[in-house]
Amino acid sequence: MATGRRIGVFICHCGGNISDYVEVAKVAEAVASEPGVVVSKNHMFTCSDAAQQEMIDDIRELKLDGLVIASCSPKLHMFTFRGMAERGGINQYQYVHVNLREQCSWAHTNDKIGATEKGIALVRAGIAKAALSTPLTALRVDTIPKVLVIGAGVSGLRAALACSDMGLSVFLVEKQKQAGGAVKNWGKMAPDNQRGSDIVQKLLDEVNARENIMLYTDAEMVQKSGYIGDFKVTLRVGESDSVELNVGAMIVATGYDNYQPAAGEFGYGLDGVVTLPEFRDFADQQEGELTYNGKPVKNMAFIYCVGSRQKKSKACPEPNEYCSRYCCNAGTHMAVTLEGRPGELNQYHLYRDIRTYGHNELIYEDARRKGAVFMRYPDAEPPVVSNGSDGLGVLVKDQLMGGELVEIPVDLVVLVTGMVPKKNETLMNTLKLPVSKDGFLNELHIKLRPVETVIDGVFIAGSAQSPKTMAESVGSALAAVSKSGGLLMKGYVDLEPLVAKVDTDKCIWCDECLKACPYGAIERTGGDGKEVALVVKSLCKGEGGCVPVCPRDAIEIEGYTDRQITAMIDACSREVVKA
Amino acid sequence: MSNQKNMDYDVMVVGAGTAGMEASLSLGDMGFKVLLVEKNPSIGGRTILLSKVFPTLDCASCISTPKMASSAHHPNITLMTYSEVDAVTKNADGSFHVRMHKKPTYVDQTTCTGCGQCESVCTVPIPDEYNYNMIARRAAHIPFPQAVPKKAVISRGGQAPCMHTCPAGVKPSGFVSLVRAGKYEEGFKLHLADAPLVGSLSRACYAPCEGECTRDEMEGSVNIRAIKRFMVDWYYDRHPEPDYGPVETQLDSKVAIIGSGPGGLTAAFHLAKQGHQVTVFEAEPHAGGMLRHGMPAYRMPNALLDRDIKNITALGVEIKTNAKVESIAALKQQGYDAVFVGVGNQNPRIIPITGNDLTDVTDCMDFLKETNVGEQLPDIAGKDFVVLGGGNVALDVARAAVRMGTKSVSIVCLEEQDKMPAHEFEVREAIEEGVKLHTGVSTKRIYNDDAGKSKLEVLKVDAINFDEKGRMTGFSTAEGTEQSIDADVVVMAVGLSPSTLPFESELHLNGNKTILTDKKTLQTSDPMVFAGGDAVLGPSIIVEAMGQGRKAAFYIDRMLKGEDLDVPFESDLPMADKEAIVGCSGSCSCIPPTAIREHDPIKRIQSFEPYEETMTESEARDSANRCLGCGECSQCQECVNVCPGDCIDFNMRTDHLEMTVGSVIVSTGYEILDPAGKELMGYGTYPNVISGPQMDRLLAPTRPYNGVLRPSDGKEPENIAIVLCNGSRDHTVCNPLCCRIGCMYSAKHAQLVMGALPLADVTIYYIDLRAFGKGYDEFYEQSKGMGVQYTKGKVARIDELEDGNLKVHYEDMEGEGGLREAEHDLVVLTVGFLPNLESLKLYKGGEVETDAHAYIREPDAIAQPGRTNIDGLFAAGTVIGARDIPDTVLHACASSAQAAGYITKLRNA
Repeated sequence: MATGRRIGVFICHCGGNISDYVEVAKVAEAVASEPGVVVSKNHMFTCSDAAQQEMIDDIRELKLDGLVIASCSPKLHMFTFRGMAERGGINQYQYVHVNLREQCSWAHTNDKIGATEKGIALVRAGIAKAALSTPLTALRVDTIPKVLVIGAGVSGLRAALACSDMGLSVFLVEKQKQAGGAVKNWGKMAPDNQRGSDIVQKLLDEVNARENIMLYTDAEMVQKSGYIGDFKVTLRVGESDSVELNVGAMIVATGYDNYQPAAGEFGYGLDGVVTLPEFRDFADQQEGELTYNGKPVKNMAFIYCVGSRQKKSKACPEPNEYCSRYCCNAGTHMAVTLEGRPGELNQYHLYRDIRTYGHNELIYEDARRKGAVFMRYPDAEPPVVSNGSDGLGVLVKDQLMGGELVEIPVDLVVLVTGMVPKKNETLMNTLKLPVSKDGFLNELHIKLRPVETVIDGVFIAGSAQSPKTMAESVGSALAAVSKSGGLLMKGYVDLEPLVAKVDTDKCIWCDECLKACPYGAIERTGGDGKEVALVVKSLCKGEGGCVPVCPRDAIEIEGYTDRQITAMIDACSREVVKA
Repeated sequence: MSNQKNMDYDVMVVGAGTAGMEASLSLGDMGFKVLLVEKNPSIGGRTILLSKVFPTLDCASCISTPKMASSAHHPNITLMTYSEVDAVTKNADGSFHVRMHKKPTYVDQTTCTGCGQCESVCTVPIPDEYNYNMIARRAAHIPFPQAVPKKAVISRGGQAPCMHTCPAGVKPSGFVSLVRAGKYEEGFKLHLADAPLVGSLSRACYAPCEGECTRDEMEGSVNIRAIKRFMVDWYYDRHPEPDYGPVETQLDSKVAIIGSGPGGLTAAFHLAKQGHQVTVFEAEPHAGGMLRHGMPAYRMPNALLDRDIKNITALGVEIKTNAKVESIAALKQQGYDAVFVGVGNQNPRIIPITGNDLTDVTDCMDFLKETNVGEQLPDIAGKDFVVLGGGNVALDVARAAVRMGTKSVSIVCLEEQDKMPAHEFEVREAIEEGVKLHTGVSTKRIYNDDAGKSKLEVLKVDAINFDEKGRMTGFSTAEGTEQSIDADVVVMAVGLSPSTLPFESELHLNGNKTILTDKKTLQTSDPMVFAGGDAVLGPSIIVEAMGQGRKAAFYIDRMLKGEDLDVPFESDLPMADKEAIVGCSGSCSCIPPTAIREHDPIKRIQSFEPYEETMTESEARDSANRCLGCGECSQCQECVNVCPGDCIDFNMRTDHLEMTVGSVIVSTGYEILDPAGKELMGYGTYPNVISGPQMDRLLAPTRPYNGVLRPSDGKEPENIAIVLCNGSRDHTVCNPLCCRIGCMYSAKHAQLVMGALPLADVTIYYIDLRAFGKGYDEFYEQSKGMGVQYTKGKVARIDELEDGNLKVHYEDMEGEGGLREAEHDLVVLTVGFLPNLESLKLYKGGEVETDAHAYIREPDAIAQPGRTNIDGLFAAGTVIGARDIPDTVLHACASSAQAAGYITKLRNA
């Protein structure tokens, strides 16, 4: 079957990730005779610069007009290879990515023969698609140099200032009546003893002084439309006002909620048992000797990992399995702060692992040197807090004393609680941002793209993404600013042209596609006697929900046409010569 | 060679690891012009060297290569690899002035395609830093398969001392490394390209290279000359005739060479290679000069010299013997366009002695010529033979004489034995062969005693006077110290003077009759005439004469081609630092030089047969293996010969640049703590104790052994211990900080090992298990679920057992307590970070503040991440403290936002 096409096929070893289970040379050989294929090779790392250069040379020398690379997930390298295709001189949409790793080698580690056969089928399908590919042009839209920052805690405030520094206007939205977020009333914080309240005040003053930052408190986003570079959002401000804004990007810095122990959890509910935030609420405001309910505190216990690193059990059907990261630093830092106060105070810190990572180790050391006692309790046998006849007491199995049971009479127990995902239904419903397994907002890639999300133009910052210390939250806020700048500072953005296309001859405007589209990308049009559907390309995500519902087969997605999909299925289902 | 250029960038990012690439890409996307500087040949930092990364177990390549490729191809990023920033200072307007240099790669980076052929032929192994020294890489190398740019770089740490020393321009390091690689033919040809008399040098060279050999400062020099001897014998055995002819492009220019000694022949060879028409005029019946006439056959066999000379004549050089040239003008008339005078230093000095008519008195040249090329040997059998003089020529005469059946051979010289000009080994061997020394004496007279026997009377010398240059100016003798020596034959070897008399009227001579030449070009007072060898130098050694022949040929060629003579002859790197090489060769095993087999003296003096034996092949290769590889690249030229793009350029030099940038981001990363400092853990002593980074390499797709093997015996380990916190949280090495990544990467190691070696047990010894990031604790739980044994306990000491297994002593904190021992067959020491102190040296406009642990300090760590105390100079990633990849990426992005704000302000100012 002559296709008239000149397709290059490149199969990646992925340094063993693929080639340990799929015989890549066999795949390359098997597809070499597919219609249109003029070259079929394999590389150790197709993503390496050298391999890319070699493929570019092949594109030029063999005058390729279609490209199939079978490697890892397109999430990792689709853009890498699209860029490479363009540098080689062919349209990036004539490149087809076959996922031979996540969808083949890793899934079939126990069946090398089968994995190789499947690999051949997948690559054949890719070739069939490439053979029917056409050059497409990206949709270039202008971007609006304004950023919506959601949440005016320290991260949000700092993000707003950084945007402003870069010449981007900012709308800063805070749900509470007062900006400042979680730490606005806090005292000394790790690592450098700055007071939370001072930090917030300084940032707020600066924000108020900026002409290009507009702060809305007691406000929240209730509606969002548009697309990357040009979002239209509606804010509710106060009781009933609403504000319409037009922004190019959004930074979600909505922070966290504190874990709230259940009644009876580590004695919570007993008088003298408080969470760390509750402790801070009164302790940070006190001067001099530490008191609780007016009485001096002589002995106190801190119990770590409350609400963190939980195991599933009857009592805890939905455990927080994650480590909350900031609490060991906060607890040890609190120990040092308390040691600095007058009065005779004995502190007992009951922990599982002290996770004062990096430089924070110095705080832990300082706490121990100053007299705080640290006792390690077994994961499975947590301390028991009870109120006996002698008052409040903690019974703990001290592993460092050979598992001896120690009973500590205390005046106060502080439960070092972790961070939990913020409950924020209105916002989540509006933004439709996915969350990770732990319930925090999900980044696009934990390492490569930690502040980007699946919604282009929407970035996440601070502890909304995962528990973080203050400094780390600010860091991630600035990272989100940096990515917003990358998006908005050049003034335009190129959108994927892989969007729906209507065959107006076939369309009879039945509005089925309109009903199926979650993005509002379908409009009714026509004046010359025939009403048809129109796709607003900048709104369409190429999701394809409209395609199967069309009774006339009048709508399809560019780059995923019916012909292409059919050809892929045919190619896939052809019998594979036994590997 | 300063090359000043002015370039302007909005930001300079120093260090192209994870942080540097991320910061550059962020700023590039914002539209800022970024200069990304990396000191290594490839960007990618340490991340690209990892196996997989926690907690996703993504391949490190997968997460690095897209960033590397994007950094290289981003329209707003200019990449400068293999470059170092020397100084950054701040300008009054808030921008920064930068001085930096680009290091020479010795491979043209614009034409290199990264084909790797140079690497595959390179003969020089160097510990592979990219594999944490577990295996060797080559001097010509591409750092690793995913390198960006994927271009070859040649490691050169200066010129090897042997090569630096050789006056003839021979590359001993080169042919030694070729012999080591079994490439004898290539070794011969490398030598031939510089100095054609390979065989002669292999026998008669005094080998100044061996005296300079760095190994000489350890157990003894590499036997360079003996290796050469093996190489040349191997080659001549297989190639009795040269395998080449005249060069293709023949020129019209004619060159006359006067004298066929080592200088003349070398000049002829190099000129003929350039295509000139060369004729050598030799007054004697045989070509070779002093090599032929001055050296007895036990040292310099005639057949070998003949074969050497074929190397020159094969190029079309004509040697006219019995053709004494009396006038340069005559040569010009014959149409010669240039002349090289290499007539040597063969006029023997004769000292008047009373009674010299009473016995057979002759001069050393006559004696040696008769011995070496005469129809018959001199008739001295049964005679008492006396040589006057203490130089090498005198020794040659004496040692030749003992081989001709003399009754006795005596050397008479003014100097005491330890001051004799001859080489010490010559004197020693002469004594072994029965030569008697009469040192510190002067001749008084020759007389016949009552029995008619000829005697030489000598007097004790009581003082020798020297001038300021150490030359003897006179001496005094002590009367009454006369003694007599039987002397049927007296040969004078008391000095030779240049054979330059015929040209006295045509060329300017010096007072000592040597020819006056331009020191650089060897051009004489007649611009068409060049001179070299002993005629210029006075008595010298073979390689010096050959060096002059080669140098003169270079300038004669330029002159004939109408090119400027004001160019340097050779400009190579300075000599490699021997002290440094000895310093880092501490762990190499002690191997004395291979003993050269020699015939015993009784057998030696039976004939003129060479008494030194040629090494066997394995001796030669073992000897070559002792080379320390000073200066890394040996200049064996294999890469030059194989490179399809002619990219290799040893003349490449450092390029210095200056520029102005708006802002600076320092992302120079961290150093890895060397666990050798924790002596009780046995790293560096016990082969099966490896470091965490080494374990990562064992697990990487580009792994050195293609499997997880333990170093001592290549066995697959079955019971692996991973010990955390080596040098972290540890005041004994002054590092109380937590490394922040060790817990997690060891959990990753454990999981990957269980994948690679399903039957292996893995135990992790820890203090606190710090799995604090997103998805980390889950990853730790997953490790436990897979069967990794976590033991809370600090390891105190590791001992090696006989089979290479290791005994780990630890305190069991979790179980019943107490001290415990466990046996493992591989121990991995998880090590942490140290600050990169280099990052502190960049800024010269003041002091970049650091914290107590020498990491760059952020004055406002909470609200101003990335900011240093210098406004406009930012820090990104691990330069402010240990962190993992996600935290590094976030921090770098934050720094880039800070820099963007700074530049925006700068632009609007």
